[in-house]
Amino acid sequence: MEREAGKQPDHRVIMVLQVASVAGIWAFVLSIAVWILHLLHLSHRLHDVPSASVAISIVAIPVFLTGAAVLTYVFVGLRRGRSAAGPDRVEGKGR
Amino acid sequence: MNRREVEQPDHVLPTAGREDEELLRAVEKPGGGFKVTFTLLALVILGAWVVFSRQILFGLGVTGLNQPVAWGFYIVNFVFFIGISHAGTLISAILRLSKAEWRRPITRMAEIITVVVLAIGGFHPVLDLGRPDRVLNIYTAGRLQSPLLWDVTSISAYFMASTVYLYVPMIPDIAILRDRGARPQWLYSFLAWGWEGTPRQQAVLERAISILMVLVIPIAVSVHTVISYIFAMTLQPGWHSTIFGPYFVVGAIFSGIAALLVVMITLRKIFHLERYLKEVHFSHLAKLLLIMSLLWFYFTFSEYLTGYFGSEPTEMRVFFYKFSGPYAPYFWGMLMLNFMIPVLILSFRRTRRIPGILIASIGVVIGMWLERLNIVVPSLANPRLPYPTGFYVPSLVEWAMFVGGIATFVLGFALFARFFPLISIWEIREGRHLAVPETVARIESYLPDAAPARAGTEPEGG
Amino acid sequence: MMARWGMVIDLDRCTGCGECMAACHQENNLATAGPEETVQRSRAFHWLRLMPEFSGRYPEVKLRFLPQPCFHCDNPPCVRVCPVQATYLSEEGIVGQIYARCIGCRYCMAGCPYNAKVFNWYEPKRPRGVERGANPNVSLRPKGVVEKCTFCHHRIMRAREEARAAGRPLRDGEVSTACAESCPAQAIVFGDLDQPGSRVSQLARSPRAFRLHEDLGTRPKVTYLAEKG
Repeated sequence: MEREAGKQPDHRVIMVLQVASVAGIWAFVLSIAVWILHLLHLSHRLHDVPSASVAISIVAIPVFLTGAAVLTYVFVGLRRGRSAAGPDRVEGKGR
Repeated sequence: MNRREVEQPDHVLPTAGREDEELLRAVEKPGGGFKVTFTLLALVILGAWVVFSRQILFGLGVTGLNQPVAWGFYIVNFVFFIGISHAGTLISAILRLSKAEWRRPITRMAEIITVVVLAIGGFHPVLDLGRPDRVLNIYTAGRLQSPLLWDVTSISAYFMASTVYLYVPMIPDIAILRDRGARPQWLYSFLAWGWEGTPRQQAVLERAISILMVLVIPIAVSVHTVISYIFAMTLQPGWHSTIFGPYFVVGAIFSGIAALLVVMITLRKIFHLERYLKEVHFSHLAKLLLIMSLLWFYFTFSEYLTGYFGSEPTEMRVFFYKFSGPYAPYFWGMLMLNFMIPVLILSFRRTRRIPGILIASIGVVIGMWLERLNIVVPSLANPRLPYPTGFYVPSLVEWAMFVGGIATFVLGFALFARFFPLISIWEIREGRHLAVPETVARIESYLPDAAPARAGTEPEGG
Repeated sequence: MMARWGMVIDLDRCTGCGECMAACHQENNLATAGPEETVQRSRAFHWLRLMPEFSGRYPEVKLRFLPQPCFHCDNPPCVRVCPVQATYLSEEGIVGQIYARCIGCRYCMAGCPYNAKVFNWYEPKRPRGVERGANPNVSLRPKGVVEKCTFCHHRIMRAREEARAAGRPLRDGEVSTACAESCPAQAIVFGDLDQPGSRVSQLARSPRAFRLHEDLGTRPKVTYLAEKG
């Protein structure tokens, strides 16, 4: 049951997966933004109350972007904050 | 299992000490209980889908919906489940923001509720579609002016924000599991994002959490406001009301706290968390529940009194349909369960103990479900024109999906508890080691400043 | 020069015979819902229905029927809420439904204060043989979509084509809906409300004219004429 040697997963693979997941979040968020803009364009083209669409997109798009930005901030922050990389290496406001 | 004591980097709070090891037990030594629960729930859910396949094959005709009552259980449950979701993230964010120290063992569970229930609730409108195969039309041809699109937008924003808000504070705990060699190791390595607990990492985490909790509150409020707008934006009697937004939000938080209490009491029993979830936590939450009950009653009273006093005929038909008509049992049941029983139980210290709180909370959950039913169906059943009104009786398919939804909720919790600690270990440890001096310092900062030292300049007393 | 189609229903002439309903069914290939569906499960399936109206007190009760098609509001609540623009207000004032786009959320039904729309709860059933005799000008609807009165849009299009081929403008009275055409009492008049001389626009200005729930601001284009005396 225990495979001591193979127990530690390949860090390269894990790293790639992590970057991919963050990229996935961005893809998700950007596609939502594109979607909302598409609907905005559609409502404009069909003379269908673009003002409502404008109001919603002004609120919604930044919210999604903020969410993804926070996640990216955590990801990058944790990467940079690892002890191997040396603590407080970067423009540290930290503590 | 041989578990090596991992060589830890000697920073602050990286691994669970012995003191909180029991929180990891469910993950590291899952009993047979998990498998049994999982199998049972999976069977229930599968059964629900089998029953539901009739709707896919034959159409929405297999439900009890009809011409004036075009919306029924699916929409009721949609509103109900999304309402429950406010338990979580909102409560947890507000408690974090207000630095309520008793939040520490609660926040994680609250956040799980949100994510699980949001996924279930968000799916319900799709069940309700006559053409689920065309659901992508919302993406290709959606109209942002329709309240349904507001919902799609704000629920997906909420889902994203609350998932992130669940995940980010979990990172240190996942790292603990990774360091202790819990399986599947790749999962924990993947999710731990290289957490080592260095001061800089902690600073990043803390800042991210504080951004998220501020972000999550307005999103959560927007979600239920917008759900109420689905109803309030129509002209239907009983729906077209300006207070629907805040009324729904209050109801959502109300049902959310009740659901949170039920979940906490249940999990406390199952996972023996008595050391963490103490009477005092329940008592505090119960007081919050009591306040929300009063607030909910205030909104309900205002809503119905304005309708009644105005006595617009169409409005009155809906009113009496609930007050003394076919929906009277549900209406009065709702008032009993949401107001009278909780207020009676929770107002007195003698009864504000775990058994009483459990009864009140279960009552509120049921009562809030009845409230959603009372909002959706009677307005549709009493249209403005004297249409031959049909009585809405939900069919087997709708009941099955209701049961399936609840089973999915339990399953979500079972799965989560199998792989992650239900109580935030690092936050408990932070509470143990850092919060006490911090809180003392904070309280001291509230106290009036010491009298000016310069004696003589200011006469003391008179 | 866009038309603005509308209808006037003279309740003084209406006998409540239900011919309009039957004609509508036939013209628009409406599916039939059996007695079980219609009565027990309240899923009557009509684009134009006879709304019963009771007045007086027992034993002097008076029952009469209001033929009620979709009112094709100029400010339609159903169009406002549709998430995919499957229902729309055309330039000629007809509230249409795009069956191929409708996702069946029934928000328009919940939003319509007149309950003018119907939903295909099942795969639409038609009696044997009717399928072959279906009106080729009106598309058959699949299950799971909302459908509604179109003001016999296909007739308008055909009449306009004919007028264009003959090189003349569309004349008043040239277009009629199935319900108007079939009414034995000639209680239903259909036409262009914006054409000053048209019968429908004159009748719509009659002192007997009223519209249902005008107070909602929906601006319905179906006008009723109250009974005389």
